[in-house]
Amino acid sequence: TAGNKILHFGACRVSMSMTEIRAGFTAIKANIQARDPIRTLSILSYPHSLHKVNASDRCCITRHLFDFYVDKVFKHCKTEDSYVNRKISSIANSFLSTKRKLGQCHEQNQCVCGQESTEKFKQILANYEGLNVTSAAMKSLGELDILLDWME
Amino acid sequence: EEALLPAPQNISILSTNMKHFLTWSPVTNQGETVRYSVEFQGEYERVYANGSWIPISECSLITATVCNITEDISATVAYNLRVRAALGARRSEWGTLKGFFNRNTTSLTPPVMKVIADGYHLLVELEDMGPAFQFRVRYWRKGKERRMQQKVVKEVSSVVHLDTMEARAEYCVKAQSYVEAINRSSSFSQTQCVRAQGDTSMWL
Repeated sequence: TAGNKILHFGACRVSMSMTEIRAGFTAIKANIQARDPIRTLSILSYPHSLHKVNASDRCCITRHLFDFYVDKVFKHCKTEDSYVNRKISSIANSFLSTKRKLGQCHEQNQCVCGQESTEKFKQILANYEGLNVTSAAMKSLGELDILLDWME
Repeated sequence: EEALLPAPQNISILSTNMKHFLTWSPVTNQGETVRYSVEFQGEYERVYANGSWIPISECSLITATVCNITEDISATVAYNLRVRAALGARRSEWGTLKGFFNRNTTSLTPPVMKVIADGYHLLVELEDMGPAFQFRVRYWRKGKERRMQQKVVKEVSSVVHLDTMEARAEYCVKAQSYVEAINRSSSFSQTQCVRAQGDTSMWL
């Protein structure tokens, strides 16, 4: 089915149309990654993979990452290709929907941030701000499957 | 100076079973062929991308007065939609849908269903309504409604096996569709009943 995924973070449960997001990303992945010339750097995985994040910190880092993509990344990914722009819009609006639900968990203290997630997210921001904004945004968008794989 | 082309009117959405269509009234201009272009704006564009609009290329300079927007309405957020007319180099003002459209308002119908008694096996065939759909199938032996059972069907394969029936007994089935992405269900279908085959004793 449309593959709704229920994200479980303790008391925080967030449903997300994972298959729709993956389908949207897969449709433009090659196009987006071709726009990223810097192959030796990673925004999400340097120096440590997301997989090293503690279970207790998963909700916080997920919330931070959804805020990051919605607030910083998508708006700098506009292309000359209408089809690509439509797919980015599809992903961005799905992320916005999930970001809101994660925000509600945070307000109900169900998405607490530990030291590790705070450090990890600082590192991601440092990686991002180390590049010019368009390159950083395109690279981050091109790494979306890293985030989706980690979430699944 | 040429009169401005009027903006399309009566802009509305037809949305059934997660298929969404934008429609509008035709703009007439002395029998000439008027064309239309459609754009959409999700909540993300409104809040984070300076209210930008995104064109739908399949509905760019079309002559029809309907546009399939299903592929672009792919998140459960509020969308704005607009359409404008074009005649040669002339463009009308944008006509905008009154109010937002959120796919969670789509109308859901029960699945078309065919119940089959295959000997002692109670089977059901369900309509493939698209990837967004799951189904709840309820079935019971006639007269024993209190022992109703339910099966959730997530992937529509050809036939679903529900139960093994007792000889000559009558069994009834009804089904509803469910869309997880918007967490809503249709009403139940009409109930269909079938009778299991009679006894065929081995020692005839």
